[in-house]
Amino acid sequence: MSVLTVNELSIFHAKTALVKSISFQIEKGEWLALVGQSGSGKSVTSAAIGQLLPPNLHAAGEILYENQNLVTLRASGMRRLRGKRLSYVFQDYQGSFTPFLTIGQHFEEYQRTHLRLSRSARKEQAEQALVSVGLKKEIYIRYPFQLSGGQLQRISIALALLLKPDILIADEPTTALDSISSFKVLELLARLQKETGCAILFITHDLRHAVKYADRVAVMKEGEIVEEGGMQQVLHHPAHPYTKQLIEASPFLNRPLNFSAEEVLG
Amino acid sequence: MTLLEIKSVTKTYQNGVEALKNIDFTLGERECLGLVGESGCGKSTLARCVLQLDRIDEGEILFKGIPLHNKNERKLKPYRKHIQAVLQNPSAALNPKLKIKDSLMDPYLQYGAQLNLKHFQFTGKKGYISQLLEAVELSESLSDRYPHELSGGQKQRVTIARAISIEPAVILLDEPTSSLDVLSQASVLRLLDGFREDFNLSYLFISHDLAAVQSMSQDLLVMKEGRIVDRFEREELFSEHRHPYTKELLSVFE
Amino acid sequence: MEWALSIRSRKRWKAPALLLFLALFFSVIVYTFFILNYDPYLVNLEERLLPMSLQHPLGTDHLGRDVLTRILLGAKLTVGYGFMALMVAVAIGVPFGIIAGFKGGGIDRFFMRIADAFLAFPDTIVAIVLSGLLGPGIENLLLAIIFVKWVNYARLVRSTVMVERQKDYITVATVNGLSASRIMVRHLLPHLIGNVLVLASLDLGKIILLISALSYIGLGAQPPAPEWGAMLNDARPYFQSVPALMIYPGLAIVFVVLLSNLLGDYLRDKFDVKKEVKL
Repeated sequence: MSVLTVNELSIFHAKTALVKSISFQIEKGEWLALVGQSGSGKSVTSAAIGQLLPPNLHAAGEILYENQNLVTLRASGMRRLRGKRLSYVFQDYQGSFTPFLTIGQHFEEYQRTHLRLSRSARKEQAEQALVSVGLKKEIYIRYPFQLSGGQLQRISIALALLLKPDILIADEPTTALDSISSFKVLELLARLQKETGCAILFITHDLRHAVKYADRVAVMKEGEIVEEGGMQQVLHHPAHPYTKQLIEASPFLNRPLNFSAEEVLG
Repeated sequence: MTLLEIKSVTKTYQNGVEALKNIDFTLGERECLGLVGESGCGKSTLARCVLQLDRIDEGEILFKGIPLHNKNERKLKPYRKHIQAVLQNPSAALNPKLKIKDSLMDPYLQYGAQLNLKHFQFTGKKGYISQLLEAVELSESLSDRYPHELSGGQKQRVTIARAISIEPAVILLDEPTSSLDVLSQASVLRLLDGFREDFNLSYLFISHDLAAVQSMSQDLLVMKEGRIVDRFEREELFSEHRHPYTKELLSVFE
Repeated sequence: MEWALSIRSRKRWKAPALLLFLALFFSVIVYTFFILNYDPYLVNLEERLLPMSLQHPLGTDHLGRDVLTRILLGAKLTVGYGFMALMVAVAIGVPFGIIAGFKGGGIDRFFMRIADAFLAFPDTIVAIVLSGLLGPGIENLLLAIIFVKWVNYARLVRSTVMVERQKDYITVATVNGLSASRIMVRHLLPHLIGNVLVLASLDLGKIILLISALSYIGLGAQPPAPEWGAMLNDARPYFQSVPALMIYPGLAIVFVVLLSNLLGDYLRDKFDVKKEVKL
């Protein structure tokens, strides 16, 4: 059963289509990776789901969630969904936190908006959430600048999953991290997904970050989905030449880089 | 022939944190030495020390046997042109107010006639720029653009062109691919790999991405908390004798 | 990026508007100086306090002098001297700021203490005290203004330089062996021109106000010099009977201050290399 259905979604800047009538579904509890280069339209697609497009872009088509079309949903309805049913993790972990608020205050704000809990219950819940992403309780009183990128990204995930959403949209959450931190963040996401059963839409330019965890993958190029299928199927038997190119350009260990396969981009 | 020698280099920050502890390695002609580590392991500090942007507390940094460390800027100047750098973020490494051609001219303007260029010929500014852009497979028409009009991959190729423009002996690559998308990463790595032969270059390739580093480097160093914990050749990557930390780094790619 | 949003279309009227103002201004100058050709200092008590006419487009003042001639000559005093003071302040402040910001350390600390000392007092008070100490007169007033204003430029430049010098392109320039002076001129100066011009054109208005204000209280230009502030002061006794005498110099001040602010806005857009808002 699909939790989210995207139907002929297009995104325009003035008259130029950045995303050209794409359709895909996210099944309940699955991990769908949306892979493509910068400018392929993958990030604006993820932004359109939560009505987070900047004012000079507009979307047309259908994004169905519980029989509501998220493209045309009113702002108040969208606010009720965001955070609670649908939450985001972004690439820019620095920008995701207000520098002069402690981690605890970030949790507080979130909890007071969506939940009715006593002060002590709020703190306990936040500390549990921190522990669940492999951090210490003491982080609760820290400021963002005192923490590393990996730690901040874990906290964003803890915040995003706090209200047990149905869908987590992760927009390049590992891109700004080094390989060990991103590995740990990916492991964490996979574990939490098992525990909470939420579906993940994982946006990345690096196929390597999707290989081990994603159930299905959709490859985007210039605003269109050029290939979609099971992760292993696509990885080992890519049908579209662009997918092949992406796989061959990714530096995997134990295999010299295939320089001839990569196309020089203008 | 050994170009760069780093001998038991130690650096301690004012707050007592040991950024580098007994770092030792050598870089020979046409070699590419890979240095892998997580963010915060001290690899960027090491890069700054090798580039003589930071002072070291103990040890020596030698270029062709000549000590470079803790020299003043005037005495360093003759050696600066031999060691160039390509940094992680090409948007920051190009002056946003200068056109591409002006950024590319920067190193040449500094050394001009002292240079003995073997590969490029200085046939006026325009011809020189177009040779540089051609070397990194960019169109000549980009020379009049500003950095913000180029994609990340294009900008990184411009900074590579700038680094090779005065034909240095060593280029320090500090995460040259980390801010690029996969296809640009591959094309940047391919260019750099080719230039090693073409320009007789040596690289010190610093990155957190073990896969990218081992695709270029024969010799690898693994750095953790300011120390080099493991050193080996590419073929020994999966050997049983690897340091536990190297194995942890490897597990990321399984 | 293909979805860049242009903000320039909204500002397109600015350049033509400025041109129109200039044309108007020059035609008035030509009419006054080449056709009417009055002596601005000649006292003619028979023609005092005349209303507007073709011979005296803005009438005459309490000593029978042509007001329009005096206002236009006043522009030379007020705007010209203001501009001069500004240039000197910029010429002192910018190099100071670049060196302090780029070198840092002791030089910077020394400079910052001086700057703090200046900033502890409001501009106007310092200017009044200084020109009071040095004695009344437009030259001393200008000295006082330069004294107060250069700090602003030094501070602006210093903070811009401190931000920029952290960036990788300065690191690369150092690695390339560029000398400090070359880095300052080639890499830092282009970042400053825009900011400094914007601040300067906004400051021009403030300086003109300051000159006029101090002349009004008798510290700047001395009578019979047709400085606008001094003219306001001269007209004060006739405020009830001939209010126009105070209104014209007042309007002239407002007009120039407004123009210099418009110019500041225009320059701000002009010097932005990235002419578009990026996503």
